[in-house]
Order: sequence, then structure tokens, then C-alpha cells
Amino acid sequence: MIGVVPALNACEGEHSRGFTFLGAKGPGEDLFVSFHDLRLSAQRRAAHYAAAGLRRGDRVALVVPEGEHFIPAFLGALWGGLIPVPLYPPVSLGKLDAFMDALVGILNIARPRVLVTTERVGKVLWSAVGRIASIEKVITTEELAKDAGSFPAAADVRDDEIAFLQFTSGSTALPKGVMVTHGSLAANCRAIIREGLEADGAKDKAVSWLPLYHDMGLIGFVIAPVWYRISVVFIPTMSFIKNATLWMETIHKHRATLSFAPNFAYALVTKRAKPEQIARWDLSQMRVFGCGAEPINPGTMRAFLQAMAPAGLKPEALLPCYGMAEATLAISFVPLEEPLQTDRINAERYHADHEATPVSNGSAFLEVVSCGRTFVGHEVTVQDDDGRILPDRHIGGICFRGPSLTAGYWENPEATQAAFRDGWLHTGDLGYKVGDRVFVSGRIKDILIVNGRNYHPQGIEWLVNEIPGVRKGSSVVFTRPGAASEEIVVAAEARADDAAALKAQIVARVSEEFQLAVSDVALVPPGTLPKTSSGKLQRRKTREQYLNGSIGRTSRVGSTRLAVAKHLALSLVGRARHEVRKLLGG
Amino acid sequence: MGESIDVVEMFKQAAFEVDNRRLPDLKPQTVITALGMDSVAIMELVAWFEEKLGVRIPDEQLSKIRTVKDLRDTIARLLPDRQFAA
Repeated sequence: MIGVVPALNACEGEHSRGFTFLGAKGPGEDLFVSFHDLRLSAQRRAAHYAAAGLRRGDRVALVVPEGEHFIPAFLGALWGGLIPVPLYPPVSLGKLDAFMDALVGILNIARPRVLVTTERVGKVLWSAVGRIASIEKVITTEELAKDAGSFPAAADVRDDEIAFLQFTSGSTALPKGVMVTHGSLAANCRAIIREGLEADGAKDKAVSWLPLYHDMGLIGFVIAPVWYRISVVFIPTMSFIKNATLWMETIHKHRATLSFAPNFAYALVTKRAKPEQIARWDLSQMRVFGCGAEPINPGTMRAFLQAMAPAGLKPEALLPCYGMAEATLAISFVPLEEPLQTDRINAERYHADHEATPVSNGSAFLEVVSCGRTFVGHEVTVQDDDGRILPDRHIGGICFRGPSLTAGYWENPEATQAAFRDGWLHTGDLGYKVGDRVFVSGRIKDILIVNGRNYHPQGIEWLVNEIPGVRKGSSVVFTRPGAASEEIVVAAEARADDAAALKAQIVARVSEEFQLAVSDVALVPPGTLPKTSSGKLQRRKTREQYLNGSIGRTSRVGSTRLAVAKHLALSLVGRARHEVRKLLGG
Repeated sequence: MGESIDVVEMFKQAAFEVDNRRLPDLKPQTVITALGMDSVAIMELVAWFEEKLGVRIPDEQLSKIRTVKDLRDTIARLLPDRQFAA
């Protein structure tokens, strides 16, 4: 199989298919770039990089919000055998300091020689650049668009060479850069396009609003389509967030057949679409609405299908999938034309026996969405803690192997060894198999996934621990299933003097620092959150206790009843004090 | 030249329409990101303002907006001909 650079080179002469950028020429004016022209503009960027003295293997950081500027800058780096490092741009509200810290943290690990950005974003970034020792030069996308003399030849890269670094988490804590290789990219793009989607550039057209610094947007909708010359219409991510119905509007207008998004986007568009818009849309040509990148809520999926049915959307167009950056992108896809399939399993047996037993006669159940099967040449197994492969319907860690595996984390052998063991990627997700079908039911790794983005709980816990009233080192952050996305829950040990005020403060601080909505705060008496024998808080166990309602009811030491009684007494005293203060007008 | 624009009052209405939130105590110095809304809801709220007032706040200016007053000042700069409530 040929690599991405030869594939880009083969775009010569392809004038009718290409990328369309919504509103890139002004309000309502779209920009079309054929694959032929895309190849030329990538070559031009490669010439600029060469002139700046960049050599094969050098990293190039990219902070470029607009797709029409980002894509040529990214492909130009690949053309020259450089290693692009795509990063998210500073576009959220009031988060400049936190953004800069995260950027500096990542780039001091990636050590790029050059930072590529736009003139406008560059004005915001300048103060961070001085804190990244490796950066010799900032190049704007405006400069990259200028003439550059003769184009360099395409780099002749090997399969095991790094194509780019994909940083996976949105917070400052522990940035890890996945090393996507040219070989893993080729294998995964082929699996997605040929096997998963059976896509054909002559008939198919894709629509994407996904951010391009994220694996699903970048690999799924830029790199793979270049390979197979599938036309794509790009909606700026921010335009989608501001007006979610633009997604369906664009699919309708362009008669698109393929699109992907995380669960939250389906919830958002279902909420925002008005009946008169749906009545006007024709979505009957849509072959695939892929859903991945965060846990899939069957209720969200059914609500979306039901809402869009008047627009002619076929239920079997919905295609749940499973994947992660460590596997390049995709691990498993539901086969085409297969309608949404869920598995209802006995909740009690799931938690107590770690088995997924189909539910009978009205007992409490969990509903898990089938994420389909993996691709030819790849393998998914479910393993126990000792690496033994478990039989069907037994819950364990989901493991993956095959040519789509990436080379691990950039300059982080410890994290690489932890996730890539014995030839398997240990995904950190919990699930089970039924035949060849993969069901993802939970998570071993400590990651929060909200609106398709990953957060480490540690950063949030550090913040909560600093809030006066919270017992130092006692907070635990985890998620519970929600309708649109996962919902954040904070559990903390506290002396409940004024529990309502402390809860409000925790919600406000987390929201201010991370722009995450905390859905619930569980304040529990000191000494009741579960800890390991070595005194470390146990996130998974805390979450389990929270979900089954037993949180805060068991003391680690001494009498449970006593601790709970003390807590109650204290909170009553606290409330009384609060009432008195209110009476006094204080 | 229309009547004066009260960003605080508009904000309360936007928060209710977009995120079903009642914010009776909202003040100009309220930090927007500390209201407990997630980033998607906040951007929808920004879009609500843009649509109501017919402005477009450039993306890279968003990262500098912390408080309701910052939002008011940013919009006021984009609409120099309009009056704004203090």
C-alpha cells in the first residue's frame, strides 16, 4: 500500500474533486480547492519549510484555526518528511492563561523548531513563544501562501517513520503525544475508507465540522479523503458550535453521504433543529452518520433518528464506532446497513460478577451500544488483569492489535510501556465481546470525556483540593452517563459547615478553570471515600459507590454510624448558623 | 440609532433561552466561565448575542473575554454607533 505522501502526489490532475471550505471567502462565500490544487499548495508550503532550514524529522507546531490554512500547512509538512504537531487554537472564552500554559507544556515536550500560525492568532500567542526554548521561528500562514521558488521532491518516508504527533488531552496535566506512523496511517485509512465505509470518491461526499487538531477530524476527514480522493465540505468548528443545525443544512445542500461526530453533537443538533427546518431538509442520501470519540448513549441515537426521520434519514445510516488516537483512529465499525443494535444486560450481574448477561423478566438493566467489529488484519480481545483472554460476555479490558497500532507516546517510554504491552494496545476501556462484536461498557483509565474532548481528572482534583473547606487531598472527580455527553461529578470529603455554599464554589471554580459544567457535587464525611491500602483514593470504586448510592456511608476507620451521625450533626449546626446569619442580615 | 443596549439583561435572557438558566444576581463583573455552563453552551450564548445584535466577535478575541463587562466592551467596540447601558 502506498503512503500518504505518494497518495497526495497522485492527486495531480484531479480538478473536479476536492475540499470546500464554508464561508472562507467571506460570509456565505465558500472556497473550493481541488485535490490538484491542494497538492500544489502543500508543495509550496514544503518549499517554505525547506527554505527555513527544516529537515526530515523536525517538528512543526501548527496553531491554525481555519481549515483552508491548516490543511496545506499540515500536508506540506508531511510532504517534506517533517513531523507536524497540530494543536488546538485559543478560541474558548476567557481561557487565555490556561491555554498558554497547556500550549507551553505540550510544545516543551514536542520541541518544534518552527511554530506555524496565522497573523491574527500570532498576536495572541507571542507571549507563549518566549517560553518554548526550541522555537527558532514563527511562520504565518500568510507567508506560507507566498511564492517559494522550486518545489522540493516528496520525502521518501518509511512505514515506521513518524507522520505526526497527536496530543490527546485537553488539559495541562500530563500531555502525551501519540506517534502516528506512516504505516499505521496507511493501514487505518484503508480500513476506514475501503472496509468500514466502502466509500467511492465518484459517488460519495463528506461533511465535517470536527476540529482538525483532533484525530477524527484530521485523519477521518483530511488524510483519508486525500488518499481516496473523496470530496469533503468543511464547516468551521466554531460555526457548528454556535449553530448546530448548520451541520444538517450543509449535508442537505451538498447532497452529502458521509459524516461523523461524537455523541454530544447528535444531542445538540436534535435539541436545536426546528420542525420547519427538518421538514425542509432531505437527508435520504446519507449513507453514514458515524458516531464515536465518546461513549454512545442509545437514547441520544434513537432521539436523533426519530427527529430526522421526516427528513428521510434512514435508521441504518447511523454507524456507531469505536477508536482512539493510540490506534491511529478507528478500532471497530458497525457494518454498513446494520441498524442500531444494543445489548440489554443484567445490571446486578455486571457489577457483581463482571458478566454481561442478557436481561430477563424486568430486572434492572444496562443498555450498551454495539460498536461493531474490527477490520481485516486487526484483532480485538477482552483480557483480565493478568492478560488472559476472556470468553464472550465476560467484562475485561479491551485490547487491540494490528497494523493500525501507533508507535506509542513521544519520548514517554513509561506511558508507552503501560499501554502497549505484549504486542497489544491496552485501551483502558472496559467491555466485552459477543462473537466478533465489541461492546464498550466502561473505563479503567482515568479519563473524563466531555463533548468529545479528553480531560485528566487529576488537574480538576488538584483545583478542588485547594478550595477552603475541602479536606486536602480528598477529592475525586469522575463522570456519570448523561444524555448529551458524560457528566462531571465531584466527590470530596468536607466538614459540612455550609454545604450548599461549598458546592456552589466547587462548581464555579471548576467551570471557570476548565469550562466544564459540574453536574453534581457529593460532599461526604471525612474518612469515608474509598482508599487503597497505600492510602490512594480509588476513583473507580468511588464512582461505583456514587452510582449505587452508597457513597459516604462507609467509614474507612472506626464506626460508620458514628461518622455519619457526626457529619449530620455538623451539617445541622452549619445550617442553623447559616439561618441565624440570614436572620441577622449578615 | 436604536435604544441603549443592556448587555447584563440580554445575558440573563440568553442564558435562559440557551441553557435554561436563571441568573437573577448577574452583574457586570460576573465571570462568565464561573457560571457553571459548559464550553458548548457558552459559545451558543455568544452566538445568541451575535445574532441579536448583528455582530461577529472574532474567534481570537473570545479568549480575552472573562466577565460580562468584557463581553459588553467587546461588543461595544464592534458597534461604535450604538449606546450601551453602563
